Amino acid sequence: MTKWGMVIDLDKCTGCQACTTACAMENSRLPGESWQDVLFYHEGTYPNVKLSWLPRPCMQCENPSCVAVCPTKATWKTEDGVVLVDWDKCIGCKYCMIACPYGVRFYMDEKPVVQPDLREVFPGDGNRIWNPPYKMPDHLEDRKRGIGVQPPGVVSKCTFCYHKISKAPKGVADLDEDNPETREYTPACVRVCPPKARYFGDLDNPDSKVNQLIADKRGVRLKEETGNKPQVYYLSGGGAPVVPGERSQRTS
Amino acid sequence: MATAALARPAFKPSPYLVGAGALFVVAFVYAMYLKLTLGHAGFNTTNYGVFWGLPIVAYDYFLLTSTGLTLLASLPLTLGLRQFDPIAKRCIWLALAALVGGVAILFMELAHPFRALWAAPLNFQTASPLFWKILCVGAYTIVLVLLALTFARGTAPAAVPKPLALLATVLALAITLIAGSVYSMMIFRPFWYGGELPVAFLIESFMGGIVFFVFFTYLIHGFSVDSVPQSTRELLAGSVGTFVAAAIFLHILFAVVRTVAGLWSYGEGLQVWRYTVDQPLYWAALIGGGIVPLVIFALPALRAQPWLQILGAVLVALGLLASRYEFVINGQLLPPFKGSWAPSPLSYEPSQLEWMLLIVGVLLANTVYAALESWSSTKES
Ligand code: SF4
Ligand code: SF4
Ligand code: SF4
Repeated sequence: MTKWGMVIDLDKCTGCQACTTACAMENSRLPGESWQDVLFYHEGTYPNVKLSWLPRPCMQCENPSCVAVCPTKATWKTEDGVVLVDWDKCIGCKYCMIACPYGVRFYMDEKPVVQPDLREVFPGDGNRIWNPPYKMPDHLEDRKRGIGVQPPGVVSKCTFCYHKISKAPKGVADLDEDNPETREYTPACVRVCPPKARYFGDLDNPDSKVNQLIADKRGVRLKEETGNKPQVYYLSGGGAPVVPGERSQRTS
Repeated sequence: MATAALARPAFKPSPYLVGAGALFVVAFVYAMYLKLTLGHAGFNTTNYGVFWGLPIVAYDYFLLTSTGLTLLASLPLTLGLRQFDPIAKRCIWLALAALVGGVAILFMELAHPFRALWAAPLNFQTASPLFWKILCVGAYTIVLVLLALTFARGTAPAAVPKPLALLATVLALAITLIAGSVYSMMIFRPFWYGGELPVAFLIESFMGGIVFFVFFTYLIHGFSVDSVPQSTRELLAGSVGTFVAAAIFLHILFAVVRTVAGLWSYGEGLQVWRYTVDQPLYWAALIGGGIVPLVIFALPALRAQPWLQILGAVLVALGLLASRYEFVINGQLLPPFKGSWAPSPLSYEPSQLEWMLLIVGVLLANTVYAALESWSSTKES
């Protein structure tokens, strides 16, 4: 069975946010509420400063705590390993947001992060919280899988671009934008990454490029202590990807 | 069966009912006006990390008060301790009123409350504490209504059907422990994580239930001490007062032990304890809502004074609300996965709409309780 996963090479990532922009466009996200974000960290004080960054989509956990806590099974996991939200079942309790260790879920009804409030500029119709001038074709929207323009009062998250990857040819090992046969099925953030820091493929296929990278470059997962087992791996030369905790930061 | 004649007492609304009801209507209309004009943006919650705000605090507060009152009522109704018979009816009525107030707040906060009524029971997500909580609260509501109706018919506490009373006790216990588990299972949120939390919730629930009983007993008698029946007064100055003291002591113990452990540890996320003890709210809750009432209720000479009982009850009730607020909100102030976009700690203060929901809940609970008292027109159990 396919188990989709992503690999992000931190040695290549330049923090350019192309992935963030592509995800926002592909999935009709409001500014400041993209399912994918690059988090920046700085430690120390001038001149002894370190700047680091980390691109962060949903980890599509193997043991997703968001699925476990959802009282209505609105958050669910597909057979090919992707965690999705059924917008028709979500009650907006936000317990999944509390229970996600990676902070990647969004309730779109809060105060606007950026002015002007685009929900007022492009008002929605009740089923969609806003009516963006750019959005995917209607036939691709799928409320049962949390794909499309988010409705009011529900939670959303990265779908691994399920509207694309679920149409990929069966048994394919990798979805690579450089391969014309798989380009259309490649997640938007992977497809646009200028230094090719993102890879997408089948973690259950021993021949996949993602597995090869994880093995060769010692891929690691974030917050292993939670037991969530992310299906997103980071390459950082063998060490853990640097996500400085407040208490581990250099102070001078 | 010691059931009284089924003749319905004439419904005579008390000034308390009229006042609470009128204020409730005004508050509700204003809250709905804010909600409809501002939408969810009227809440001060964000996607940065504070996902649950004051309405969730208030919901939990009322729910736990309700279960505490039911546990108190279970002393005579389930355990058969007949000396507590005089408090049974009022406890059940207050439990129902607090439940209605709490659930109303939740319904006004949730985006799709009615969807929850079918989507939760039909989907069997047994791994979720919230699934069990919704199920138990649904059953608890039915059982409390049945118990309240039983009392409204004039049934004596000793004649209340045992299975019904037992079911209420079990559900109240389950809801309280599950409410604690909603937080205590979050291993990556160390401020909340820990198996002892549901036990702390149980103690706080019992404590809240008792002080609500004390306060409303005096309130329903217009704070005229002499009109409170002697048997009830003796209980308040005696064993009920001792229960409050014991519960406050355990509550303080939990609070202090958790604080010391939190301040001592270097674990990421626990630094919120430093922030917590720097807040005046923490000390107000601990001293004003814990130590002062502990002294009042622990010393027989002091707790025999009705006005000190009332003062102690009010202090504990406010202290518990402050503690619940601190617990729910501070547990979210350090997002487990933050970047440069998230200041540390996050800041949150309730919006006008959020305060209004709390006020609506308080007034609705008072209205329901006043209506039940007026309905039976029986001033004392
Ligand atoms: S990262 Fe969060 S939202 Fe995504 S699957 Fe894991 S727990 Fe769920
Ligand atoms: S907000 Fe929706 S998806 Fe999240 S736990 Fe609640 S019902 Fe489930
Ligand atoms: S996989 Fe798709 S939905 Fe997920 S972060 Fe990338 S572009 Fe966004």
